[in-house]
Amino acid sequence: MDISFLVVQILTGLAYGMLLFMISVGLSVIFGLMGIVNLAHGVFFVVGAYLALSVLDMGANFLVALGVAMLAMALLGVMIERFLLFRSYGNELNQVLLTFGLAFVLADVIKMIWGARLQSLPTPAVLDFSVTLAGITFPTYRLAVVLVGCIVAVVLWYLETRTRTGAIIRAGVDDREMVSALGINITLVFAGVFAFGAALAGMGGVLGGPILGMYPDMGFDILVLSLIVVVLGGLGTWKGAFVGGILVGMVQIFGQAYFPSLSLVIVFLLMAVVLLIRPSGLFGRSHAT
Amino acid sequence: MIGRLSGRRVPWPGVAVLTLLVLLLPLVLPPFGVGIATEVFIMAIFAMSLGLILGYAGLVSLGHAAFFGAGAYTVALLGQYVFNTYLLLLSATAVAALLAAISGALFFRSTGAYFLMLTLAFSQVLFAVAFQAEPITGGDDGMSVVAVPDLGFGEIVGELGLYYMMGFAFLGCYLLLRLFVASPAGKVVKGIMENELRMRALGYNTFSYKLFVYTLAGAMAGFAGALYAYFNFYVTPDLLGWVLSGQALIMVIIGGVGTLLGPALGAAFFIVVQNYASFYTEYWALVLGLIFIIFVLLGRGGLMHLLRAVWNRTLPSRFREREDEMEPEEPAAEHQKERTP
Repeated sequence: MDISFLVVQILTGLAYGMLLFMISVGLSVIFGLMGIVNLAHGVFFVVGAYLALSVLDMGANFLVALGVAMLAMALLGVMIERFLLFRSYGNELNQVLLTFGLAFVLADVIKMIWGARLQSLPTPAVLDFSVTLAGITFPTYRLAVVLVGCIVAVVLWYLETRTRTGAIIRAGVDDREMVSALGINITLVFAGVFAFGAALAGMGGVLGGPILGMYPDMGFDILVLSLIVVVLGGLGTWKGAFVGGILVGMVQIFGQAYFPSLSLVIVFLLMAVVLLIRPSGLFGRSHAT
Repeated sequence: MIGRLSGRRVPWPGVAVLTLLVLLLPLVLPPFGVGIATEVFIMAIFAMSLGLILGYAGLVSLGHAAFFGAGAYTVALLGQYVFNTYLLLLSATAVAALLAAISGALFFRSTGAYFLMLTLAFSQVLFAVAFQAEPITGGDDGMSVVAVPDLGFGEIVGELGLYYMMGFAFLGCYLLLRLFVASPAGKVVKGIMENELRMRALGYNTFSYKLFVYTLAGAMAGFAGALYAYFNFYVTPDLLGWVLSGQALIMVIIGGVGTLLGPALGAAFFIVVQNYASFYTEYWALVLGLIFIIFVLLGRGGLMHLLRAVWNRTLPSRFREREDEMEPEEPAAEHQKERTP
């Protein structure tokens, strides 16, 4: 086996895992906190990428496009939470159905605005080269994605364990009613978490744009993978999404390299095995409900 | 007989009206309408099977197409070697039932949103298998169905023949579900949906009841898929994918959760709108998605609930009781009535 092939595969798997981490973390915390599986979360990823494409077309640079896309996704997230999901709090099935309908509608809106064909974002010029080290060539952009993913993880770690907001969210995942009984405005936290999760998903979409590309129905393909990440890692914590994302990313990339016809089956088996050993995921706390 | 056993009659007048409707519909339909109606019957069976687990057992699945597609692929793959229609339909149903029993047994450890994710992931895996096993299934391009439907009185090739085949299959499935829902087992399942803990405390093995109803729904979805293979002459991985699962969910919600005919009505609505809207715009999914969101926001009554409200308002009171008999238990809709001012 070729060492450099192996290293590049690992790097690709890591980069892919980071993208999955960015989309899954919002899904996981929204689910843990509000009890909603946001089926529109995959579409956030894709819409973010398309928005960045439009901004880039206007001549802006990659960072500006990333910022605009993240801001727009946060706004979209708040709007969806306030105007749509807010109406059916206490009825989680209805909320899941609403996000599903939304995913359906948004996929068609994408088709309307950007067309149905496969597109991709250009790799930012600053990072569009390769580093050769000890005979192994690394595409710099993927290294950068891994780095950004790690930074996001550190920021999330800080937010979760060192800030008041993080404490509220951790408490909310464990016992929502108790938190609101303590006089904390939990609905505000809900809106904030929704916006933050959507922005991170959008960020994943933009960063993934040069690697994965995008197409209107991509939202659901990526959603299935991130659902597996969430189930695997456990609910309501960035740690689960981080480790689960890397695991699924690696398995998916190596599966594609060695057993191309079985890659998704292997990912699914991995999830089944983990669930049999730990029903609430790797880092999930067992829920009483 | 079976009706009396359960203490509640199956609404035979309603069944008779439905049968007449199926028999006479082609007389009033325009030529292209027969094909659409045939598709409606197939999708109605599929939607009713999802409606059963959603409305009567409280299991929200987003991977129900797994069973539909499994049935369709069974007919396509096995139909290359076996030509007996009864045998093919039976094996398709059995394959789907087996898949449902195995996946259900594994997934029932998880509830609610976890269950939904697992069903979604399961159907996507089957989708990936059909997509990637190109030598056998033709991959993304799909494969054509060589088996021709023949129920013992010559090959069914004409449009009208297919129409009646699917129409009677639909009636049969409806009757079967009616009998099940009215049976003691059906009531236990409903009890589990309303309060699983209490049913367990009463000594019922809730797991096996849930597994039974899930397997029944899976088998019926597989049957519908097999019929679809005969109807469409062609199967693609899309028949296993989330889009179809989601569409079935949309049919059930628009039609009315917690009723038997509601999902069938929803299927009819969906397919007619799909055909009609795609005539004007390619964004028919947008139209249907918005209608779906509106129905979810309005509450879980669906079309069936609207119809019932109109019916109750227009008919004299002595007919109302009969109406109640037709759709006896209606916790979802009843709940809705209390909430809407």
